[in-house]
Amino acid sequence: MNLITIGMFAAILLISLGITAWAARRTRTTVDFYAAGKGLTAAQNGFALAGDWCSAAAFLGFTGLTALYGMDGALYAVGPLVAFCTVLLLIAEPLRNTGTYTIGDVIMYRMRQPPALAAAIIGTIVINLAYLVPQMAGGGLLIKLLFGFRYDVSVMLVGLGMIIYVAVGGMLATSWVQIVKAILMLGAGFVILILSLKGVGFDPLALFASAEAKAGPNFLLPGNLLKNPFDEVSLGLGYMLGLAGLPHVMTRFYTVPDATTARRSVIWVMFLAGAFFACTTIFGLAAVHYIGPEALRVGNPGGNLTLPLLAQYLGGGKGTTGGDLMLGFVSAVAVATILAVVAGLTLATSGAVANDLYVNLIKKGNVEERQQVLVARITAIVVGVVATLLGILAEGVNVAVLVILAICIAASANFPVLALSLFWRRFNTGGVIGGMGLGLISSVGLALIGPAYLGPHALWPLVNPTVVALPLGILGAVLGSLIAGRNHEHEKRFGEVTFRIQTGLRSRS
Amino acid sequence: MVDKAKQSGADIAPDAWIEGVQGAEFKTLIDTKRRSIVPMIAIYVVGYMGLSVLAGFGRGILGIKVLGPVNLGFALIAGNYVMSWALALVYARVSANSHDPLVKIVVEKTRARRSVP
Repeated sequence: MNLITIGMFAAILLISLGITAWAARRTRTTVDFYAAGKGLTAAQNGFALAGDWCSAAAFLGFTGLTALYGMDGALYAVGPLVAFCTVLLLIAEPLRNTGTYTIGDVIMYRMRQPPALAAAIIGTIVINLAYLVPQMAGGGLLIKLLFGFRYDVSVMLVGLGMIIYVAVGGMLATSWVQIVKAILMLGAGFVILILSLKGVGFDPLALFASAEAKAGPNFLLPGNLLKNPFDEVSLGLGYMLGLAGLPHVMTRFYTVPDATTARRSVIWVMFLAGAFFACTTIFGLAAVHYIGPEALRVGNPGGNLTLPLLAQYLGGGKGTTGGDLMLGFVSAVAVATILAVVAGLTLATSGAVANDLYVNLIKKGNVEERQQVLVARITAIVVGVVATLLGILAEGVNVAVLVILAICIAASANFPVLALSLFWRRFNTGGVIGGMGLGLISSVGLALIGPAYLGPHALWPLVNPTVVALPLGILGAVLGSLIAGRNHEHEKRFGEVTFRIQTGLRSRS
Repeated sequence: MVDKAKQSGADIAPDAWIEGVQGAEFKTLIDTKRRSIVPMIAIYVVGYMGLSVLAGFGRGILGIKVLGPVNLGFALIAGNYVMSWALALVYARVSANSHDPLVKIVVEKTRARRSVP
């Protein structure tokens, strides 16, 4: 902990608060609050998506996993990029054309039955909390490490920051905080990349050779982290379909004016975030090359401090001005990353509670505009407080299981329901309930009895149950639809749904 | 290029979609999109799930050295980056040159029908 870190941290904090104050004056209506007035450009939304998707798990985690486990870390890093192919080809444009603020909007538009909306709300809240809590805990640990505060105080500081961003500045503030953070993160990544490659004469192959020589012949093989072969398959499936079911990523497509812009923002994020993910693999190998595998494991059990350590080394080493500068910069960016991601998650959760649950399900849409914004702000505060409390309780709990769980539920419960709502004529409310129910129960159940939670006493061998939970989720969706039986009125309306998915034209009711 | 009407979620008459989905232009749009999107989905599903399955069950194969210290696994990972970026660019081009003009025709036809008394 040094003055440079404090200075950078203070600068980032002031910029974020300035953005929030600026955004607060421009946030009056629900479309402002949930969707930044639908006025972001493709590049802005692309940067904000990169900010949303490069959580601390990506920024610090992928680098650490590659440094400790070799190829498995690189497999973790490439998945999120491929995942965006699913979003680009199947989800982004139809979602933009059919919904207003949330995934619940899409389900309600298609099904027009409250139980379907209720199922979508439950799915969104469970996924978001499972994703939010480990980020809160991670942010708390990082602040505790940087400033020496107590863990619970640190988590409360993270909670306070995100509540201010979201409740005061809504989607506009959240988006710009994401954009600033993405630029900082990409800048930090660029500097570390240049310095990493400079030491080996800009020959990345030398990093592979050195890492293999130092960490052993198995280092560049798969299976060092994910011992069970089916876990590798689960990782792939979870990424490929789970990202397209994560509510906080999906709500970003409502911040742009039309489907064309939504599409172009996905292209932006694929190049921005994809390039960054590729760099984390280089960083991991560079950490092994420069710092060495043994030194990396000291006080760094999960590998999450690998990137700060590498930055410090590349800046000149411990105790030097350059080393302190780099360490301070990377640490400050990591905190900014966590704050931005938890803000996005809080906003998406507030959307599910305030817009879907309160306005659409309980009040049947009969709520005044001004009151809706007020309810949304209050909900953001409540969601933030709940997430902070859960984050404090999560101290010492294996938080990695929660991230896996969130992606697994998103792939197994949300994705089948969303995709079938958009593309299957016979899909109905029974299918929504069946798919959400079976996907959710099998993901949560299998994760809780697996090794991530029970360690050596696991009743079930896989850390990540997607390979089983996803087929069950699809089965639940199909069986639920068939059991609920055919409804010709409902199926006839699918033509209208398809027409709107493809053209964005909305029928007057 | 921001379509003002689309931005506000353009409203059409309650039954306009019926003629819309039955129109030849709409069928052309769906067929064209299907022909371009389905092969692209097949490419990345095979490319990425192939890598994931090999990472689980073909660990020896992925260990074969292909370029100095780099083995087949890392080469395929690099290939997945290139594949995703190439698909993104191809899709951006195809949709701008072929899908968007077809959507525009359908939208204009639907609006024109509405304005006829």
